[in-house]
Amino acid sequence: MKRIEVKLSLPVVAPLLDVIRELADGLRKNLAAPSTLTELDDDFRDAWVGELVSSQNDDVHTLLALFDGNFFSEGVVAFDEENAEPIMRACAAVRLRLRECYLKPLGDETLETGDLDLTSLAEPLRKAFMCYLFLATVQELIIQHLDESILGH
Amino acid sequence: MTTTRSHTLPQHETHTLLATDGAWRVVVLNDPVNLMSYVVLVFKKVFGFDEATARQHMLEVHEQGRSIVWSGLREKAEAYAFTLQQWHLTTVLETDEAH
Repeated sequence: MKRIEVKLSLPVVAPLLDVIRELADGLRKNLAAPSTLTELDDDFRDAWVGELVSSQNDDVHTLLALFDGNFFSEGVVAFDEENAEPIMRACAAVRLRLRECYLKPLGDETLETGDLDLTSLAEPLRKAFMCYLFLATVQELIIQHLDESILGH
Repeated sequence: MTTTRSHTLPQHETHTLLATDGAWRVVVLNDPVNLMSYVVLVFKKVFGFDEATARQHMLEVHEQGRSIVWSGLREKAEAYAFTLQQWHLTTVLETDEAH
């Protein structure tokens, strides 16, 4: 099984986990992006959304499980064929939630390019934007090293 | 007669089903959050697109705001829409009648 280990800077990443956990709480009952399917009847839509929320919860749980005792002692997280896919989706969910909860004032163009001077931001916006960039970096790492595992899974 | 009737009816029913239910489009809309590389990966994973096709659809989403990524029977369109929403891509279903 292909596996990559990444050493993260504890002082930088650990404070971001508070933001991720807070947003994960908000994702327990709500979709990161509201469902846009208006063609479905009410019962079917409820079942549809329920399944999506359940799947989203599993994914977010896998993401949070990365930051275990090993992370806090060594600063190391590991990605493999098993967790790559749910972590990719969880990162997308939390990033969408970050936009909804914190980052809308920055504008969509800034969110697309990620081009912004962090020092110009006040808390809690700065920490939220760092979290947004961090999760994108996780996604890019997985795409770079484990995309074949995801496609073949 | 019985044989003929049982042979004819299902064919007729199949045609009716296809005519009213056959042209559903799965449309992915742009969002400012998901990475281009992520969207390409999702298209490859969900639809089995090659790199060039996945990239072309991603660019359509990015530049034109939307891309029709699949069309066909409603049931399968719904299954694709569900999977794309699991990956957090903004997805809508459309019928031909909507245009």
